[in-house]
Amino acid sequence: CTDNLELSPTSTITSNSFWQNEQDAMGGLNSMYQWFRPQVSSNLYIWGGARSEELSYGLQASEGRERYFENTIDANFAGPDWIRLYTTIYAANLAIAEIPDINFTEESDKSRALARAHTMRAYVYFILARTWGDVPMVTEPIDGFPESTGKERTDVNEIFNLIKQDLDEALSLFPDNSFPDCRCQWSRPAANALKGNVNLWTAKQMDGGQEDLQAALTALQQVQEADVSLLQNFDDIFRYNNKGNSEILMAVHFEDLESGAMYNNSMYVRNDQIPSNVDEESKEVLGTGGGLNRWAPSELLRNQFTEDDSRKEASFAELYTVENGDSTFYASAVTKFRGFVDAGARKFLDDVILYRYADVLLMIAEAKNALGQDPSAEINQVRQRAYGDDFSDHLFVNGSQEVNEEAILQERLRELAFEGKRWWDLVRFGKAFDLVPSLHDDQGEGHLLLWPIPESTRSLNGLVEQNPGY
Amino acid sequence: QDQLTVKGTVTVQESGNTLPGVNVVVKGTTQGTSTGANGHYEIMVSENDTLVFSAVGFATQEVAVAGRSAIDIAMVASVAELDEMVVIGYGEQSRKTLTTSVAKMDTSVLNNVPFANVSSALQGSVSGLRVQTTTGQPGASPQVVLRGGTSISNPDGATPLYIVDGVKKSNLNDISSNNIESIQVLKDAASTAIYGARASNGVIIVETKSGQRGTTQINYRSSIQMSQLGDFYDLGTAREYIKFARMGMAATGEKHPEFLGRLDMANGFGTGNDLTKNTAFTTQYLTPDNEHKLNEGWQSMPDPLDPSQTIIFKSTDWQDKLFRTAMTTNHYLSASGGSEVATYRVGAGYLSNEGAAIQTGYRRLNFDASGSVKVRENIDVNANVNFSNSSDEQVFNINQIFQRSLALPSTAKFRYEDGTLAPGQNRSIGNPVYHLNRSVSENNLNRLTLGLNAHWQIADNLSFEPSASLYTVQGIDNEFQKSYFFSANQFIDSRDASGSHSLFWQRELDGVFTYDNTFGQDHNFSAKAGFSYFDRKNYSLFAAGRGAATDNIPTLNASSEETAVSSSTSHQVIAGYFGRISYDYNQKYLLSASGRYDGASNLGGNNKWGFFPGVSVGWNVHEEKFWSSIPDVASSFKLRGSYGVTGNISGLSDFHAQGQYSVGSEYNGQPMVTSTRLPNQDLKWERSRTVDVGFDLGLFNDQVTVLFDYYRRVTDDLLQSLELPQYTGFTSILTNLGSLENKGVEFEIQGDVIQNRSGFNWSLGANASYNQNKILELPENDNENNRIGGILVYDRSSGEYVYKGGLQEGGRLGDLFAYQQLGIYATDEEAANGPTDELVAGSDKTKFAGDVRWLDKDDNGTIDSRDRVYAGNILPNWTGGFSNTFSYKNLSLIVRTDFALGHTIYNESLARFNGQFQGDINISKEVVNQSWLSDRRQTDVPRYYWADQLAQNNLFRGNTRYYEKGDYLALREITLSYTLPTRWVKTLGIRNVRAYATGNNLHYFTNYKGLLPEEGGQDSGRYPNPQSFIFGINVGL
Repeated sequence: CTDNLELSPTSTITSNSFWQNEQDAMGGLNSMYQWFRPQVSSNLYIWGGARSEELSYGLQASEGRERYFENTIDANFAGPDWIRLYTTIYAANLAIAEIPDINFTEESDKSRALARAHTMRAYVYFILARTWGDVPMVTEPIDGFPESTGKERTDVNEIFNLIKQDLDEALSLFPDNSFPDCRCQWSRPAANALKGNVNLWTAKQMDGGQEDLQAALTALQQVQEADVSLLQNFDDIFRYNNKGNSEILMAVHFEDLESGAMYNNSMYVRNDQIPSNVDEESKEVLGTGGGLNRWAPSELLRNQFTEDDSRKEASFAELYTVENGDSTFYASAVTKFRGFVDAGARKFLDDVILYRYADVLLMIAEAKNALGQDPSAEINQVRQRAYGDDFSDHLFVNGSQEVNEEAILQERLRELAFEGKRWWDLVRFGKAFDLVPSLHDDQGEGHLLLWPIPESTRSLNGLVEQNPGY
Repeated sequence: QDQLTVKGTVTVQESGNTLPGVNVVVKGTTQGTSTGANGHYEIMVSENDTLVFSAVGFATQEVAVAGRSAIDIAMVASVAELDEMVVIGYGEQSRKTLTTSVAKMDTSVLNNVPFANVSSALQGSVSGLRVQTTTGQPGASPQVVLRGGTSISNPDGATPLYIVDGVKKSNLNDISSNNIESIQVLKDAASTAIYGARASNGVIIVETKSGQRGTTQINYRSSIQMSQLGDFYDLGTAREYIKFARMGMAATGEKHPEFLGRLDMANGFGTGNDLTKNTAFTTQYLTPDNEHKLNEGWQSMPDPLDPSQTIIFKSTDWQDKLFRTAMTTNHYLSASGGSEVATYRVGAGYLSNEGAAIQTGYRRLNFDASGSVKVRENIDVNANVNFSNSSDEQVFNINQIFQRSLALPSTAKFRYEDGTLAPGQNRSIGNPVYHLNRSVSENNLNRLTLGLNAHWQIADNLSFEPSASLYTVQGIDNEFQKSYFFSANQFIDSRDASGSHSLFWQRELDGVFTYDNTFGQDHNFSAKAGFSYFDRKNYSLFAAGRGAATDNIPTLNASSEETAVSSSTSHQVIAGYFGRISYDYNQKYLLSASGRYDGASNLGGNNKWGFFPGVSVGWNVHEEKFWSSIPDVASSFKLRGSYGVTGNISGLSDFHAQGQYSVGSEYNGQPMVTSTRLPNQDLKWERSRTVDVGFDLGLFNDQVTVLFDYYRRVTDDLLQSLELPQYTGFTSILTNLGSLENKGVEFEIQGDVIQNRSGFNWSLGANASYNQNKILELPENDNENNRIGGILVYDRSSGEYVYKGGLQEGGRLGDLFAYQQLGIYATDEEAANGPTDELVAGSDKTKFAGDVRWLDKDDNGTIDSRDRVYAGNILPNWTGGFSNTFSYKNLSLIVRTDFALGHTIYNESLARFNGQFQGDINISKEVVNQSWLSDRRQTDVPRYYWADQLAQNNLFRGNTRYYEKGDYLALREITLSYTLPTRWVKTLGIRNVRAYATGNNLHYFTNYKGLLPEEGGQDSGRYPNPQSFIFGINVGL
């Protein structure tokens, strides 16, 4: 009977039967998105944007989201943990370990595949390092029961070294400067954008100085050699039927039946929350409602847009109730990612953009300004598109480094609102305590710029120390 | 004295069946006879004699002849159990010589209630089993766990192995209770070791009915049942809701004015509703346009926030809409009989069970046939076939229906002005009549068991029993969402549809040799040796689509777009060799040893095989000479002891050890092949070592029996998901780590308290079981006590912050923690002097009168997560039941109760009603009658806030007041039955007729405020278990 006990599965693949050929390699490489996409669908916004001044209370119960914009997170309510970021790293590590031994028809496809895995690993460590500082460093896939279960956090400087190594490795591996059709996989221009972003961070936050600023500027300017441009109409960048447009460098793909909704489903408004006396114009902007308004654009953010800024209406809607001719503010909702309506239901399935050209332009301006160069060309490129015919009223003129820096930061708020960038921008520019109302009273409490490590994470790994101050 | 001939028929009182083999003896003589195949006897007596009727399993009866020539007797099943036969693994044994722990269910439990799921009959009727009704859904299986189970990660998921007529099954679903002959539970390892592979969680052996020699007996059983809820939530009326919700909104608005706009909106308490189909609620200000509604049953009240305005509304009781009086009918017809050469039994049944909630139900058809033929003098061949076809309808979401919809604010519209049904706020807190009608869900199951076995008496002392069986389960499900209004103004017409087809297919082949002999006078010896082969496959096919053009076709052919297609198959083989030897010396000294060697395909390559031995000894003390010096009251006494090792791999999926890459998902249309499970070729059998000591005590000539067991089971090498540190990227890996102890005691007392005094009998059965678990060992993980999970709280005894709960060595499973409510602040001043409460939402932490005063456990002036206290445990430690049968002549009364003690339930529903976490859910009467008001300051219910979690967080954080004791005593059954006198029915050619009336699940005696107190842990809405009233009749021909 013993022979009968040796069964192999029909409907699943086991560890010893995978990683044999090119198709396996591509399927395995894509699995990075199995873990990464659900993180991008809402946690990426929470880490990158939620603690900033962008959002405030919405119409619906905030269910703990207020802990972010009120900046009251602690070790017990520490926001999303890092496990699925590490699963993404595991998938990247697996690809990096296995792909070199697999034969590809085209060698360039193999190096592109490896380059994508390295870029992904760099991007995810970049999230980790900006959020928690020191984090455990894992560069090999585990393949069974781990020998020892605890692992200490690695110094954040070493993490940044790994990120930069990975990016250099990737940039040397990418065979060309082209994009995949969907612009939803890593490419050399996207890796350069990431490299620019990383170096701006290390220049300003890790004492990287001029060297890193120059590295940032070089990488960002290399992006401009690729097929990228600003779209004429700001709103078009984000439209569901315009995915993979030429402003996009890298986006994470969302699709019906393939993925869940992205985070705007907790920033939009459901129809039954809209009173009948709301002004017709707002109603029209929103169209068929959907999602739940659990948090919403803050008044502070809304007031930083002028009426002639085409980004205002493309970013959020303000609803006013009209009673006896008096209109009263009622609610606001993010419209940047409004998905599409299918069979009566609004589906929030817009791609989440990690890098786009306007972001790159503003980073170039930031690097130039920090290096003492004139940033106005890039800033004005962005403003020209935003204000169209009224651009002349908003022409940017080079000023002092400090004034320029402030202007760039505010331009980034208007350009990149709700794209999951604001909190990290505030930290990078050193302005979190100045600009986030809930942090005004915490000047000097620098530890708040990092996140607490969730108790649940520490309870599974006794060697992980809590960030000081929490 | 005159001799006369007395004739008569002996029947079984419970069933009315005639009873062959009853000894009929003239008292004080050896003169006697026994009843024939049809229950008849005939005996010569003197007119002043007394007849004694006795039979195994029945109470002995004495009847004075008093000159009569016809005496019919209805025998009452005796609960005295010391001489009963007990089915054990691959055999049968008298309890007299049994050395292991085996409980036998009193099958009279099955007589009256038409159990849609037979497992429910185990509730309170067998010691050692925790049986919990976790839902009132008809046909649903209760949770059955033996002696606390063996699982650390899922203490409720440790299901016993069921063996029905020799066929291994994972549940007793869809078996007709009318076809059950006996149910027994093998509890200790020595009794279950012979089933080695999957025996750790106990083995429940079920035998179905088979034919008996004699004339054909035809039985018909039928009952009709009405079910309805015994308890409802105490919810506010529309008027009360509007009052408190508007005041609660204003209360939240004191700190958060941004929410005050809701007062004018189209929600449950807001005045933005109108008479159109655009709003879901009736609440609105009185205007000339709507004042006519006051003549149509609408009510009015002044706006509590602005008494100058009048609010009008219509009230609907949603519990009344959701629940109904449900009808259940049950029919079962059987015929059995046989000759010296062959016996047979055939039966067919139909059960239709409506759920107490609308649109729910369960229906089942059963066909049962069994037969036995003596093909040669020494060879019997038996075959049986059981087929069932069942289908059910369930609600689409337990929480959304049994917490939210039933507590939809009573101001919601039931119908619009044009008479069509309104959808309620939205589907997740909707009008249940509307939403349950818009979704179609049909689950059909066909189960077929084919069994064939033989008994070959090779020689006088040697026999061989081969058996083969096939068990298949075919599932066909179809789901369809008709187009619907998600909310008043959102119409969804994607018309999602899905169909699935699954096939479960299990083959078994067993062969057992048995050798029995007696050496000398007193050395009784028997031995068994056998093999077993088990082979199971699963197949499933699933397809889903959407975009149908019509609501009228619920199947996939109408879908215009395919959304998912998938099929998969899986396979498992378990092979084993087993044996047992039993020896006794003159039934005085008893010894039994068994063992099994099992191999399973899904274990790691390094550890496929495991050996599971068991040994037990017994001593019938009453067989000793010195026993005569013991007072007569103690008639028998046996000491038992056993030790054994059993295995378990129920938590292991088919190819688990080999790791897994998952397929089927895509990124931008490209396939993703994802490593989702780490391989572990070292996976091996989970091993439970059980020590069991006990005694069987007979009192009053064994009319009362007491069974006692103490056990300690330690399960090592637990197949447990080891939670991994998060940097690995995996949440867990399945390993053999850790060790869990369960120990406890079990009592069973059964006896005939009163017997045969002028025809009145009273028999009593009681059982109680106590179980306590303790985690002995966990994998090393750098934490103190190798703790996994848990929370950091202040410990007053040590003065330190320590981790409690979760899993820790030395700890228990299922501990709960919450913030302790000490009281409610009566005044703002008192609140201002209290500790700072970090859990109040927002940056303004000010506390007010009406807020909860929390225990500041560490006295640091701040309420934070470290102030949480132990709030109970989810598992009951005491379970048991009582049953009483009173009979007087043809009348009998049965009262059965069962209980569970020690579990705590987090009544999250009540907290939600009191704290409005939903935004739009009804309030409980506690809010109305007890919540803090400026003129009601002394209370233990805080001020009512809209969205408590956004306001003062008095309830949402987990408040000890809502961690309620689940202790209950259930009045499970009261039956009054009457067996028509034989002489009345005989003339009609009817053998017997029994009619009865039963009340089932009549009442829970409990302090728990929710609707179903049986399961610990969080209650966020449960399908309540309804009361049932049953009228039934059994007819025998």
